[in-house]
Amino acid sequence: MKLQVKLALYNTLTKVAIILFTGLLILLSIEKISYNHIEVRLEEKKEATLRSLSSREINSFLAAQKVYTDYNILKEEFITITPVKYEANTPGKVTFSTETRKVERNMETYRILSNRFNFNEHTYLLEIGETIESVEELKSIIKKFTLLVLFIALVLTLISDLVFTKFLLAPFYKIIDRKLIKVNDPMNFDYEKIQTTTQDFELLDDSISSLMKKISNLFILEKQFIANVSHELLTPISIISSRLENILLHEELSEGSENKMHASLKTLNRLKSIINSLLLISKVENNQFDKGDMVMIAGVIKEIHEELEDRIDEKHLTFTNHLKYIYSIQGNRPLMHTLLFNIINNSIKYNTTKGSITISDDLNDDIYAITIADTGIGMEQKQIDNAFNRFEKFDTDEKESYGLGLAIVKSITAFHNINIKINSVKNKGTAVKLIFDNQV
Amino acid sequence: MNVLIVEDEKGLALEVDEFLSHEGFTVEHARTKKSAEEKIFVNNYDFILLDLGLPDGDGFDLLKMLKGLEKRDDAVIILTARGAVDDRVMGLEQGADDYLAKPFSLSELLARMHAITRRKHRLESNDINIKGLRVNIQNRTVMYNDERINLTKKEFEIFNYLVLNKNRVISRTNLTEHVWGDVLEINSDSNFVDVHVKNLRKKLSQYIPIDWFETVRSIGYRINI
Repeated sequence: MKLQVKLALYNTLTKVAIILFTGLLILLSIEKISYNHIEVRLEEKKEATLRSLSSREINSFLAAQKVYTDYNILKEEFITITPVKYEANTPGKVTFSTETRKVERNMETYRILSNRFNFNEHTYLLEIGETIESVEELKSIIKKFTLLVLFIALVLTLISDLVFTKFLLAPFYKIIDRKLIKVNDPMNFDYEKIQTTTQDFELLDDSISSLMKKISNLFILEKQFIANVSHELLTPISIISSRLENILLHEELSEGSENKMHASLKTLNRLKSIINSLLLISKVENNQFDKGDMVMIAGVIKEIHEELEDRIDEKHLTFTNHLKYIYSIQGNRPLMHTLLFNIINNSIKYNTTKGSITISDDLNDDIYAITIADTGIGMEQKQIDNAFNRFEKFDTDEKESYGLGLAIVKSITAFHNINIKINSVKNKGTAVKLIFDNQV
Repeated sequence: MNVLIVEDEKGLALEVDEFLSHEGFTVEHARTKKSAEEKIFVNNYDFILLDLGLPDGDGFDLLKMLKGLEKRDDAVIILTARGAVDDRVMGLEQGADDYLAKPFSLSELLARMHAITRRKHRLESNDINIKGLRVNIQNRTVMYNDERINLTKKEFEIFNYLVLNKNRVISRTNLTEHVWGDVLEINSDSNFVDVHVKNLRKKLSQYIPIDWFETVRSIGYRINI
């Protein structure tokens, strides 16, 4: 659940709780207060009634041991005096109760005061009732009102909270989106500050920026290191290789030493190739290549096919070119050549004798894609995951594999914004797909 | 033929010197831009091997200066560890005859120098004669009597390189690099050369016996004349 929604829900819930609590409190206190008022009035009436017991009207009833009842027109009040069994000591205690009584076909709820008293050697039960209809009505009005307020408050707070938290958290989501999600290369990081008045977000923004600065500094340092080391190593290699070549010119050399010289030259060459590959990767990653060429993919493929024809024949491979489109991209021609060369060369290298290589392309929604599929030894998922790592190589008979071919491929595809996907089934074959979906 | 090596790295200059002297060149050596300027100003050279990164300046300046001099036909081969594509293009645009990235093999250097010589002195001896086979670098052909031997581009390159470096063992690695040239294509493997050599031999042996075309076990090939 999003933070924004969580905050809004929390706010709503607390508000609901507060309103419910206050509503309940008001309801209870209103009941209490109005009962209190009624009871005070009833007490006064009781006193008045007891004082007027000797009045003739009542007295006649009492003398006849009859029930005396009296009520006003709207039946809001009633008084009954009922003779009960004689008790010498009446407690004189006054009790209150809420009861529904039928007064002349009308059912009403009354707050009733009950009191036993002795008069002229008789015990009577005095009951004075006052309707609490108005109180109940008030209570129900308050109940309805509370519910209404509750509902409106609920809707209003939910909306206002959502809007406000959205406004409040906008810089936060902006930071996440621009500074974390959309960053795939620390070199192209956007250091521009996100506008916010929230200190916490400013802190977050600054922290991410300074972290990214550190990372990109390390990145630059690493690239410089590779470039410097590679460059400074090339001259000594040059000297050693020349020296060995000169030693080979001396004819008195034994066959054994001559072989060792050549082996050393070969090792030096390997060293040179590795350094050159690392240099190439570092240069590509440092954007030291020009992207000014219009490179026609089909043309490059044709060129590479011609270059590699002998190797294809040697392994008795079937090379099928199914390219349907003439597609050109803006880029660096030598690099594109290297890219496709490395992929096709791999599909030859890891192929089985009499296997096949198929090159096909398609154009969907203006997105061009080219697939180089072979029937070679294939890779397992774990191998695919590691395929682009430097110095990662697989079991192969080839002596000249340094495990840098696909690392170069990766850097060139990144340089040209090409999406590369490898599909492979062990012992069935590998398909490398280049998707040109980010061309400017 | 005289050669000026402009190279601040003494070790490398000495090795190139030794190799070229052995091949019959007269070699001079300049370690700074200043001393190279003086030498170029005073002498004509058949070849100037020019390092770009000199302690007191850029080799390109020397190239510009040389091209500014009248009646000079010194061939310039740029030798550099910079290896940038831009450098190569710029060097050739400014009138260098060739460009070699360090580390280079001496036999490659020699082959390039021979190629330049033949290009420049076109009218004199265009063809190299090997046991009745005529190798023409300009047209990239090999003829036997008047019949053209049908070689592929790579087969010609290999044969030409071995011929230019005759009597010397040329390793597969060296050949691969010469034929494939571009440093970018490091994935090419040296055994691949064998296929081309096999085909080349088959084609040549249809015309003349080729016992002079030797395989040196586990190393490479040699043309022995």
